[in-house]
Amino acid sequence: MSEDKRKNDIDEGQDDGTTKESRRDFLKKMGVAAAVTTVAPAATAATTKAASIAEHLQTHFEMMSDSQKEAAIARLEKRYSEQFEKQVTVANTPAPDEVLFGYALNISKCIGCRRCVEACVRENNQSRDPAIQWIRVLQMERGNDTFELENWHKGSPSSSRIGDYGVQSGGHADKAVGISGHTDHYYEPEQVPEENAFYFPVQCQQCEDPACVRACPVQATYRDPNGIVVIDYNWCIGCRMCQLACPYWARRFNWSEPALPNEEMNPKTHYLGNRPRMRGVMEKCTFCLQRVRDGRYPACVEACPVGARKFGNLLDPESEVRKILATKKVFRFKEDFNTEPKFFYYMD
Amino acid sequence: MTTTTQCASPAQKPIAFARDFCIYAVKGGKVYYSWLLFLSFFVLVGLVTTYIQMTTGLIVTGATDQIIWELFVSNFIHCPSIASAAVLVVTPAYIYKRKDMKQLAVIGEAIAMVFVIIGFNFIFFHMGRPDRFWHTIPGIGIFNFPSSVLTYDIIVLNVYLVLNAVAVFYYLYKHYVDQPLNTKFYTPLIWFAVAWGPFIHIITAFILSSNAQMAVWHSALMPFSFLAMAAAAGPALVIVTLLVIRKFTKLEVADSVIDFFSQVIIWGVGLLILMFAVEFFTELYPATHHAAPLEYAIKGHNGMKPYTPWFWGVMTVFVVQFLLLCNSKIRKSYNFLLPLICISVFLSVLIEKPSVLIFPAFSPTPLGEYAVYHPTLIEICNVLFIWATGFMLLTMILKGVVGVLVGDVRDSDVAVEGGAK
Amino acid sequence: MISPKKYVRATVFYGFFAVVTSGLVLQDMPSQATTPEDKSGAKECYESIKGATELVKKDNVVPKYGYPNVKCSPTTGAVLWYGDPYDDTEPMGDMPTFGDHTDGDFAQAVIRTRTKHLKTIIQNGTKCSGCHPAADATTQKNDPRELMMHQDIVSNATKLQHGRGAIWCFDCHNAANRDTLVDHKGQEISLNEPYKLCGSCHGVTYSEWRMGLHGKRTGEWRVGGKKRWWTCTECHNPHTVQEHRFQPIAPELPPALPRGMTKDDFKGASGHGGH
Repeated sequence: MSEDKRKNDIDEGQDDGTTKESRRDFLKKMGVAAAVTTVAPAATAATTKAASIAEHLQTHFEMMSDSQKEAAIARLEKRYSEQFEKQVTVANTPAPDEVLFGYALNISKCIGCRRCVEACVRENNQSRDPAIQWIRVLQMERGNDTFELENWHKGSPSSSRIGDYGVQSGGHADKAVGISGHTDHYYEPEQVPEENAFYFPVQCQQCEDPACVRACPVQATYRDPNGIVVIDYNWCIGCRMCQLACPYWARRFNWSEPALPNEEMNPKTHYLGNRPRMRGVMEKCTFCLQRVRDGRYPACVEACPVGARKFGNLLDPESEVRKILATKKVFRFKEDFNTEPKFFYYMD
Repeated sequence: MTTTTQCASPAQKPIAFARDFCIYAVKGGKVYYSWLLFLSFFVLVGLVTTYIQMTTGLIVTGATDQIIWELFVSNFIHCPSIASAAVLVVTPAYIYKRKDMKQLAVIGEAIAMVFVIIGFNFIFFHMGRPDRFWHTIPGIGIFNFPSSVLTYDIIVLNVYLVLNAVAVFYYLYKHYVDQPLNTKFYTPLIWFAVAWGPFIHIITAFILSSNAQMAVWHSALMPFSFLAMAAAAGPALVIVTLLVIRKFTKLEVADSVIDFFSQVIIWGVGLLILMFAVEFFTELYPATHHAAPLEYAIKGHNGMKPYTPWFWGVMTVFVVQFLLLCNSKIRKSYNFLLPLICISVFLSVLIEKPSVLIFPAFSPTPLGEYAVYHPTLIEICNVLFIWATGFMLLTMILKGVVGVLVGDVRDSDVAVEGGAK
Repeated sequence: MISPKKYVRATVFYGFFAVVTSGLVLQDMPSQATTPEDKSGAKECYESIKGATELVKKDNVVPKYGYPNVKCSPTTGAVLWYGDPYDDTEPMGDMPTFGDHTDGDFAQAVIRTRTKHLKTIIQNGTKCSGCHPAADATTQKNDPRELMMHQDIVSNATKLQHGRGAIWCFDCHNAANRDTLVDHKGQEISLNEPYKLCGSCHGVTYSEWRMGLHGKRTGEWRVGGKKRWWTCTECHNPHTVQEHRFQPIAPELPPALPRGMTKDDFKGASGHGGH
């Protein structure tokens, strides 16, 4: 269902109605794109070029002076506003004091509707094609499908001198223990939740000891004062060592120039958060930095129709996440990697 | 030694050397030009595809968020293996003082130098933002040392490149002006370069094995298998190079030198097979989820078997090569079987990288997905572009090196004196 | 030496092949990104329960950013994103003391006016009392009978599962004033404040809801900040809650498959679900 739907979406979106682009169209579009980025009027072309060079030569965001930051943000606001044909703001809201952000997700409540995924895409200006999504919802089967009555006498190895008392379920010589669980990323039933399924959404776990931050050769990704792992998209060199290091598959790479329709672009952005990215850089969940530094809940928290997502200040004992840590059955995903996530899963 | 006066001042001699070296390097016979023309074909195509990649992004490669390393890294990892050639040529020449290899050491160093450059080219193509490479330069950028393993690799490769470049051109220059080497400078340099050599494999292996989440790579054996591959593939290229030089130039290469390197290859391939065996046992016997990527390579998953033929093919070829090389008659077949096997060793170690080491290792992803890598034509053209430019550079440098060694390229003053060497 | 003529010919030859190959390469290029139209044009969408939590998308509610009040899913009609999380809300007002430390967080709490969104009321265009005046209190508590209407809400009123037979319509609906609810003490409760009623039986859930552990909130993350508290009946339909604690809904589209992969490659694929 979804493949066809997706195709239709794209097809209808094209004004010429063709389903497959010819090479010439492609080149034409490339040309148009180039023209847009360099801006048509000759008078502004020089200043745009200067701004582009300045953007190329700017230093790491945390190493800029205040005036440099202002200049960098002004450049970006101008570029984005022209590109998306609306007033775009790039904020530099500082991190609030005495706050350590934490997240808790109730896996006994999650119904796998993927609204968090879609909300995230709308909030954070992800590329629509190729589609980049920061949250991945896994569907898992309840129970263990390897326990079956008709197999009870069939051990593995199937015969030995002392009888067929080999391994009967879970792991055996051909199937490793621990790989019996059934995960599906691409489920698309009519309705969720499905019987005999539970759901496990995964996004950046905002680790306290992040493997990605350690791996970055230029410190383009780093932990902000609130414990959010952020990326300076203008400093990232696109080497993808962070993506390789992440045990949670939380990072996404801009394999091409991201495509973001003007009317869907969220004009309220933050330098370290949801401002539009460029080709060849890494991006990932920032707990909606542009929102949480302004006091708002992340978009995924607000989108979840069942209230499975909780967010707050880990340093405030009265906060929702701290109360969950105190009263619920909580675990972290892949604790053996010792990355100390601030993203907690819990059950009622 | 007093220089004959009619000639240029000493300051101009390095310039004269560079000029003579370059002119000699681009001159050649029919075979030479045919070879360069052959390579230039890939360069021409590669220029177009490089432009496409640099303007469109890495989407033109087969890489995805599931399999994030493309053919560029896979090929890059092969380069340090070859760059080890320097160590394996210099060690017998200078540490074991083999007379037949003394003059050839510089060829090994030149190969090492060029392959480090090829490696950098692959990394350049791998980067999402090659225009921002300056961010890694300490001082103007941020060099996340000692936290990031990649920074270690940047250091070891650059130092190795400089060491070999200095060693090569210092030696050639001294040969050119017919002066004795300053052993107080040259010997420590050579020894240091030899000691440095293994680091480029060890650190490159660390780039892979430092990732705890990449289950099959997270093994202490990784640097050692890289060293074994270096001992196999590096000398393989050296043998082919020396055989070509022997055939087409006046430079003399003794059979004993070739025999020495074919012995090294036996050890390299043999140790490699042993290391594969212990690695496979350690993973497959407990069969935890750490074995999942390996099992995917060996027998596929859920009907997907994209890497199975490659895996078994490469493993078979390794064993066959080992058995063939154990036969001394084959090792002595300098004009047919030995170079054939050497090319096979070079290619099998190269092909092992993407099809066994890299691509299957990404499945399952940290979230349990299995994926298949589909290389694109543009990506392959770019890989061939880098290899073609690399081999072009190697050919021309080696041409110059040989020219200096045989005395075709030499200071005019010395030449006037009658070339007393 | 190769003759110059031959050299030129060979160059032309190779150049020709290079161009042809480049052409092939260009054809191999992935199709460039197309930008689909904004399909989020759906005007009516729902929050948690389809058919009971509908709201209308209004444009430019936050003029500074040109935000609508909500953004809706083009595929499922679900509310995905809030431009204004306090749109169409009213202050929660006083809450009964509960004897725990959750007291005092209600100063800035807001709730959505449920009566504006209840389908039964909207469809009739009148309040419940328009059809059921107070005088019409013909039925008493604990006297279940077949319903003459509203079977769409409760199909078989004699077998209401909520309370497992112990309660019936007028244990919650106020017979004296059909526009309100009533608790077991006879206290009249607004339809907008169902928690005051539900909490009298579901004590643990109620206390967790007051603490912010149960249920959903939108707005500010700070303790005591301005939040919209989602009330019980915005997520649970008390008439069918035994069947589905949460009414199943249509999921959003699955993510795109990795390039070059087909759905068949994943059929029955069992990955390892982590550690």
